[in-house]
Amino acid sequence: MTSPDLIRELTATRPAAPTALRARVREIAAQEAAPKASFWPRLRLPVRRFALVAVPATAMVAIASAGVLGLARSDSNVAALRNGYLEQETLEKALPPQAVPSPNLGIDDQNLSGTAGAATILRDPADQNLGSAVGPTLDRAQRISATLTVEVADSDGVSRAAQRALDLTESLGGHVVSANVATGDQGNAALVVRVPVAKVQEAIVQLSALGRIVSQQVTIDDLQGNLDALERRERSVRAQIALLSARLESDSLDATTRAQLESRLRTLRQELRGLRRDTAATNAEARMATIQLTVVTPGVLTAVPVPSRLDRTLDEALNVLVWEGVIALAIAIVAAPFALLFLATWLGRKLYRRREEDRLLAT
Amino acid sequence: MSIEAPRRAGTAATSFAAVAEDHLDDVYGYLLYLTKNWALAEDLTSETFETALRRWRRFDPRRGTHRAWLIAIARSTALDWFRADARRRRREERAEAGELDKERDQAFGDGFSPELEEGLRALTAGEREVVALRVVLELDGDETARLLGITVTAVSTRLHRALAKLEERMRHDDVA
Repeated sequence: MTSPDLIRELTATRPAAPTALRARVREIAAQEAAPKASFWPRLRLPVRRFALVAVPATAMVAIASAGVLGLARSDSNVAALRNGYLEQETLEKALPPQAVPSPNLGIDDQNLSGTAGAATILRDPADQNLGSAVGPTLDRAQRISATLTVEVADSDGVSRAAQRALDLTESLGGHVVSANVATGDQGNAALVVRVPVAKVQEAIVQLSALGRIVSQQVTIDDLQGNLDALERRERSVRAQIALLSARLESDSLDATTRAQLESRLRTLRQELRGLRRDTAATNAEARMATIQLTVVTPGVLTAVPVPSRLDRTLDEALNVLVWEGVIALAIAIVAAPFALLFLATWLGRKLYRRREEDRLLAT
Repeated sequence: MSIEAPRRAGTAATSFAAVAEDHLDDVYGYLLYLTKNWALAEDLTSETFETALRRWRRFDPRRGTHRAWLIAIARSTALDWFRADARRRRREERAEAGELDKERDQAFGDGFSPELEEGLRALTAGEREVVALRVVLELDGDETARLLGITVTAVSTRLHRALAKLEERMRHDDVA
């Protein structure tokens, strides 16, 4: 039989369902229930179309949220800048021109710690009451640090001021921690020095006189509380050591008790050594004050114009977008192994089922 | 994305009963070719329409015709039976099962020549399947490929081999 004949015979003898089967299927079909009335229509959303809609929609939401946040934050930044400049205007009216500091919007008045901690802005370096306002309390251990920015006329002035600062530090019995001097059109110097706490007032006054004060800040942290606690603990440990030593001199102790007491004694002595180290370190910290001096020229510290609303909004919006991107990347990195695992499992299962079907149909 | 109103039962164009009536012979014929056993084909046909009724609301006309959808369900039902049967055969003795099969003779109904029927029985289930889909039910290559999960070229190749094997078998029978 040839292929066309074969095909003709196959199509001519197409099977028909027996009557009984037809009746059975009609019974099954008759069970179709009327669809329930539903207010919400059914949504059919092919995966591809969903992706085509979801991806740009997500991007638009991200950009829109960045824009809204950028707009909101740009307002708060302006308010801070405006407050800073208002403060400067008030000070200019109240103080002599040569003593007016520029608004230090970065002033950190969070440097408050302990019961005696205080941050003070020094307005007039010529004010002799300056020392009592910010000087150390002699009967208490304190950590004193000061930050000073002065402006000189030119680059030569920077070098001279830096040298004077170094000489002054040595003369007061202190030492230099670091010094960085840059000359040129916009010369500047950054110095970190340590002076004895008793000389800190004098150091600040003399360093302030090196140029026009731009900003000043002094931070005092009380260390006395720590020292007192260390001292109390040391007294207690000493007393315990004395008691244990006295007990160990007794002959009536059994071996076990003696061993326990000796172990406890060793522990207490170790603790005592640690307490003494901590006390010495705290005292050392309280003996010397740290001063950070920055010497600048007028070119370095020019007034920064307030950026426009659009610039601020774009800046803030870009920040938000960057963070959104970072978060999305983090999520993708975390989810990627699981997605790969899922994909591998799905592909493996599909391949297995295909082979199984081929095997079943090969009989 | 499309939003559809719920189907109304009883509408001639979309009711399950109408679709079942239209395509019952196709589903039965396909299962008969696949299983070469009329009783089994009847059982599987009933099961197919029961499953189809349960899934009727999820049918998406954009993804294919009613006939292709029903045959896909029939195929899945038949494969499930094959799997269960393979497990059973591994438990029982082959001789008993062989005897049972011999009882189910004359699988392809009336009109077939004995040679053709014998030739069809000698084909594998997969070969009979592709003959049923392409020749008997006259599904096109694309639809058949989608149903079987293979390429159109693979469908053509399988059909060609099945028909060649059938011809060879029938020629051998003629000579004998």
